[in-house]
Amino acid sequence: MTQKILLVEDDTTTADFIVKGLHEQGLAVDHAKTGRDGLFHATDGSYDAIILDRMLPGMDGMAVLGAIRAAGIATPIVILSARSAVEDRVAGLTAGSDDYLTKPFAFAELLARLRLLMRRATAGPANAVETALTCEDLDMDLLSRKVKRNGRLLDLQPREFRLLEYLIRHKEQVVTRTMLLEGVWDYHFDPGTNVIDVHVSRLRKKIDAEGESPLIHTVRGAGYRLGARE
Amino acid sequence: MVKFWRSSTARFILLVFGIELILAGGMTLTLRSLTRAALEQDAQVFAEGLTRDVRTAYVEQGRVGARNFSALRLLFSEGRTPVLLMIDKEGRPLFGNLMRWPAGLRAGWNEADLARAGPDQVDAIGVLVTRLPGGERLLAGQALENDQRLSGIVDRATGTALIFALPLALFAAFAAVRIINARVDDINATAKAVSEGRLSRRVSLDGSGDTFDRLALTLNTMLDRIESLISELRIVTDGLAHDLRSPLTRLKVRLDRAETEQNPAARSTAIALANEEADRLLAMLTTALQISRAEAGIGQDHFETVDLSALAHDLAELYAPLIEDRGFELQTDIAPDVAVRAHRELMVQAIGNLIDNALKYGASPIQFMAGQTATHAWVEVRDRGIGIPPTQRAEALRRFGRLDPSRTGFGAGLGLSLVQAVARLHGGTIELGDAKPGLIIRLSIPL
Repeated sequence: MTQKILLVEDDTTTADFIVKGLHEQGLAVDHAKTGRDGLFHATDGSYDAIILDRMLPGMDGMAVLGAIRAAGIATPIVILSARSAVEDRVAGLTAGSDDYLTKPFAFAELLARLRLLMRRATAGPANAVETALTCEDLDMDLLSRKVKRNGRLLDLQPREFRLLEYLIRHKEQVVTRTMLLEGVWDYHFDPGTNVIDVHVSRLRKKIDAEGESPLIHTVRGAGYRLGARE
Repeated sequence: MVKFWRSSTARFILLVFGIELILAGGMTLTLRSLTRAALEQDAQVFAEGLTRDVRTAYVEQGRVGARNFSALRLLFSEGRTPVLLMIDKEGRPLFGNLMRWPAGLRAGWNEADLARAGPDQVDAIGVLVTRLPGGERLLAGQALENDQRLSGIVDRATGTALIFALPLALFAAFAAVRIINARVDDINATAKAVSEGRLSRRVSLDGSGDTFDRLALTLNTMLDRIESLISELRIVTDGLAHDLRSPLTRLKVRLDRAETEQNPAARSTAIALANEEADRLLAMLTTALQISRAEAGIGQDHFETVDLSALAHDLAELYAPLIEDRGFELQTDIAPDVAVRAHRELMVQAIGNLIDNALKYGASPIQFMAGQTATHAWVEVRDRGIGIPPTQRAEALRRFGRLDPSRTGFGAGLGLSLVQAVARLHGGTIELGDAKPGLIIRLSIPL
């Protein structure tokens, strides 16, 4: 079944760029130009995710967000905003959005976050506490905090463990550097240099023994993906 | 006109006028009643003295002595018109300058209208009535005619004074309003000049420290702040415009090349380079905005207790692999349990910038330290690079203040000014020192 996205965005250039990108990914997109239209579409409840611009004519994005949540619609929502300040992001998240993306953004970043949200939504509420994660021949025991590749025990630092845990939890999905910085380090800042790349490449070296097929793949212009080579 | 009377100026005039009038009226009325009381008191004192003297003469020399003494006293009247009469037990007049005993007098002080013996007509008198040991009764006192004239004069003077007070009060009211209006007009003119773009105009102070002076001072402080913010903003926009020009040009060149490139591999390389350039531009913009926000004091309401030691360890851990990869050595010395009230994310960014700065412009080893003094928590980063000469340190902290013109790196020229802005937001400081060789940067914020 094709997944359906609602885009609420008044800027035509941005909207066209997003709609085109999502279509190329095989997603169906409805585009609303005003907050009122967006709210009207959203209440229909048939969308898998909503992309909501924060600054909208007529009805402010935050007001639309509040109205959608007040109507009991739990569709995942990503806020797009030109305002990057921490306070604004926190306000957006506490008002009921699921993610917050600052303009301008890379399309890959938006797509990665959108896919993550949709997968989380369809997976339903987290079932019984997970004690083990796997990906291909990689096994992670969350209780003993041991990781094995092909039965071989890996020696990971605590942070490397969390990095790998994040990647496994989002296996076969593209995760961006910002997502890693947020999810593993809980930092919402721009470290200026690509510190994340170095961490990932170290983890990669520890995971892949000679002759084993690499599990962490670099996705050009986007980030990383854990999983079998496609 | 109706509008004028509703204005606060008119109301103020009326208020001052009213108060002036009440004050003037009150003063003249008080003066009048005081004069009257003094006159009555004087008449009473005279009457008591006369009574005492006649009584003494009577006690010592009998009726005849009293009569002789009285005649003498009536002759030397001291500028007053004395009134005197003694009657016997049966009410017959014995001597004095009244023809008969006036009706209705009681013992003690009396004021009455009556006729005197002689040519004079009805007069007001003030007399003291006493009974003598032999049963005779004596009245002694004075005519109040003079007093009444004086009292009349006082009344007229009071009236006149009140009439003069009226325009004076009005004048005072207008004068007071003029003084206030003059100062308000000055403030008004200044505000107008500033809003028309003459940002350096200030309200003049008269040094009195009164309410207007304090208002003017507050306004001037506000105007100073506005002026400095605007000039900062001008520097930022000028700096941004200047600094954006070359990366934008490079971006455009790369995109042009990508457009004309036939070879797919070369084409995607050109696009990747253009992308990198765009990222650099975005990072610069983000940092410039962060600095502006921090300098405007935005974020102070998001201060929380931050475990600086843990945060420093975290950051050291985040950067360690990168530092190692670049062939640098990282030495850390982080004191435990340093906690501060701070904006966590901005602190992370600031400290990250310090490490990043050392990595970009310094040389190995990089020392990363954190600790606290009695009053401040501090974070220090030292490197062994060429450092910054003392004369150029202020320039290094200035927005877009790039020391080496060849530096066109990521977020060029903004890293340290962001650290400075964050320090200021927390009421702290950033100090640059010499590690001989190399640079020491110390960020201190109050505990």
